[in-house]
Amino acid sequence: MHLKVNDESHEVTVDAERTLLSVLRHELELTGTKYGCGEGNCGACTVLIDGEATRSCITPVTSASGRDIMTIEGLADGDNLHPVQEAFVEHTAFQCAYCTSGFIMSSAALLDRNPAPDDDQIRSALSGHICRCGAYVRILAAVKSAAGEPGSGDGGAG
Amino acid sequence: MNASESQPDIAITVIGPPRWTPEPDPRVPHGDPATLLTIDADAIVTAFSGKVEYGQGIRNGFAMEIADELDVVVDSIRIVLGDTALVPQDRGTTGSASTRTVGIQLRRAAATARQALVNLAATRLEVDSGALKTEDGRVVSNDGATGVDYADLLSGQSLTLDVPDVVEVKAVKDFRLMGRPARRIDAVSRVTGAAKYVRDVVVPGMLYGKILRPPSYGAKLVQVDTARAKRVDGVISVVQDGDFVGVVAEREDVAEYAVEVIRARWEESRDTASDWNIPALLKERAEVPTALRDEGDLESAFGSANRVFENTYYVPYISNAQMEPSASVARWDDGNLTVWCANRGPFAERDSLAEMFGLPADKVRVIAAEIGGSFGTKTPTVSHEAARLARAIDAPVRVSYDRAEEFAWSTVRPAATFEIKSGVDANGKIVAWDYTAFHAGENAFRGQRGADTMYDVDNVRIAVAASESPLQSGSYRSLGGATNHFAREVHMDEIAVGLGIDPLEFRLNNLSHERLRGTLVAAAEAFGWETRDNSSGKGYGMAIGYDAGSFTAQIAEVTVENQEARVDRVVVGFDCGLVVNPDGARNQIEGSIVMGMGTALWETVEFDGGRVLNAGFARYRVPRIGDAPEIEVVFTGGDDVPSSGAGEPGIVPTAAAIANAVRDATGTAVEQLPIVPNL
Repeated sequence: MHLKVNDESHEVTVDAERTLLSVLRHELELTGTKYGCGEGNCGACTVLIDGEATRSCITPVTSASGRDIMTIEGLADGDNLHPVQEAFVEHTAFQCAYCTSGFIMSSAALLDRNPAPDDDQIRSALSGHICRCGAYVRILAAVKSAAGEPGSGDGGAG
Repeated sequence: MNASESQPDIAITVIGPPRWTPEPDPRVPHGDPATLLTIDADAIVTAFSGKVEYGQGIRNGFAMEIADELDVVVDSIRIVLGDTALVPQDRGTTGSASTRTVGIQLRRAAATARQALVNLAATRLEVDSGALKTEDGRVVSNDGATGVDYADLLSGQSLTLDVPDVVEVKAVKDFRLMGRPARRIDAVSRVTGAAKYVRDVVVPGMLYGKILRPPSYGAKLVQVDTARAKRVDGVISVVQDGDFVGVVAEREDVAEYAVEVIRARWEESRDTASDWNIPALLKERAEVPTALRDEGDLESAFGSANRVFENTYYVPYISNAQMEPSASVARWDDGNLTVWCANRGPFAERDSLAEMFGLPADKVRVIAAEIGGSFGTKTPTVSHEAARLARAIDAPVRVSYDRAEEFAWSTVRPAATFEIKSGVDANGKIVAWDYTAFHAGENAFRGQRGADTMYDVDNVRIAVAASESPLQSGSYRSLGGATNHFAREVHMDEIAVGLGIDPLEFRLNNLSHERLRGTLVAAAEAFGWETRDNSSGKGYGMAIGYDAGSFTAQIAEVTVENQEARVDRVVVGFDCGLVVNPDGARNQIEGSIVMGMGTALWETVEFDGGRVLNAGFARYRVPRIGDAPEIEVVFTGGDDVPSSGAGEPGIVPTAAAIANAVRDATGTAVEQLPIVPNL
């Protein structure tokens, strides 16, 4: 099977029923994408597929084959963090950070399709994510501040 | 990852005992002396602590403290945490104690090293050490005319220093970093996916384990057939040892599948406890309450009281539900066990593994990875499971819980039932307070935290009892503290409303404690308590609290409509003495409030007959971003007051403040949690 992840092509031999999350973490060793619930309820496993925020824990790997997959590892441009990543650092929009990859990927996808979201649009885009450390106030502030930055719409382009 | 890698070219080694008190106290035995801090020839400082990072940002706190004492930049500091082969045994990461105990000892170690550097410079420059000071990685003369870099002084040195009993640490006015907001030093690794949690740890030859779970607590395995599991492609072994059955496979998903096809018969305990009958059962199944305080004459005080109030309160079991489900990696080499874990007490985990396998402690090494939240759970159980499988098949094994296992088989915050009887005189002064708490769990100690009242009262009895727990009770953010505060502070509003006195006035009228008063007055002022507007479904409530040496007050504004409650705003007064990292402390308090809001409004573990019935986020409602209130924090502690905890105290008043606000909006008292299902 052919997988294009973070602009790199991979040939993987895997069972068709495996989840994209399992293949990313185990076969491609991209462990920045996290398992949180396995049911699509918490958002920790979010990656972009053709620019769309997608729960990789409930996505069969076959359905992602041949499409542009982006994980947290592919978001920065070399050492230059994506504006959403920068903003999460600036606002310390995390504590344990286990949920952070997912929040950042969904935020990047949001800004890609809507460069100037209002608070409710941000809340709505991130409503499928859980941060048990409760850094929500900071996450909202971080995404708002990233929205004003050049390059913030590059997340979904793949 | 071996111990020698971290010790090249060490120029200064500072050794000292871990301490549990801010200042050396002869009455409190200290830990075994160990290396607290080293400085290598390039002036890179490495500090060692058995504390772990599970989101609270402790690396930052330690690094800032050391940077200030040593006059170096934070970037030149490395913090090694939670590896039992490398760090001092300074107890687990609990009770919000890291900054006030380990932090101060690291400051003392850093001050000891700084003095040594000054002495080296005095010799080198042939001046009296009193004529020298440190700044920016250099020792310089007081007039600034001459100076020498630390790195120059350290070259070729090999000093070992003991932290003396008396060490002068810097005064608050000389801090450059402490007390000011700071970015997390580990921030970039956390936004790029580079931070390694246990589930991300891969060791050569590692296999994946999955444990066969009983259908309910207390179930006994009667019969098992593992033949089908053994035939699954990719399965290496099915391990059975009594009731313990686990699959080891080449991949995690294979292990998950294989464990599903094991056939097993279980004899279940058929315990009649459920979340329906547990409030009353907690009292029925409790031991005799232990009095923590019994003063004055309650009987005559109640007899002469103007009004008497008597109520029962209840808080349910709740799940910690941290984002990272439990996981562990275990590897055996020649009878030595190494475990990578997400436990906040690596030494306790080491000792429990040593005991389980009958090994001396020095044959077990426990390494804490980055930890994806804990809030008190993450027990050594998962490491026991990984180590048993790894030993049985003689290969490293990782065991990772799925979310349903985490909900059902990790520990939960104990449920509790409270009985409070209070008497007040004609002036609205509390004259009698009789408090009994029944906390689920095997020992009453767990329920003692926060049980006592800080209000002025002469006739008082505080009693706590442990009650049989049908679920596996464990720790939580401010275990006992958060639940005891709920009962007490809701009862305070019961009295205030009953007497028709403003809850702020009623509290201040019964509260002499200066630091608590300070937090309450500051919160009320910042909130605009006097000018609040009770129109349009709004309600306002307050609560005060103490925990981990700190004091806090919170005022909540809620909107109740259509059987939903929304927390719009929370204003916090917070006194934890000197605030080392204000942004870090604020982050902790904000998180505590969001978490406390979940416990107030929605969270409850549903169970029946030993089975957890809502073991997933679809049926266990936690706060999401749209629920987050506006939060304002006012720090009221003095800079000359030693730092106390900030990670937990923020949660203790939250549920009560919200409950009191909901009562204000609806006119109906909240006597049990969660609130929303009962609206």
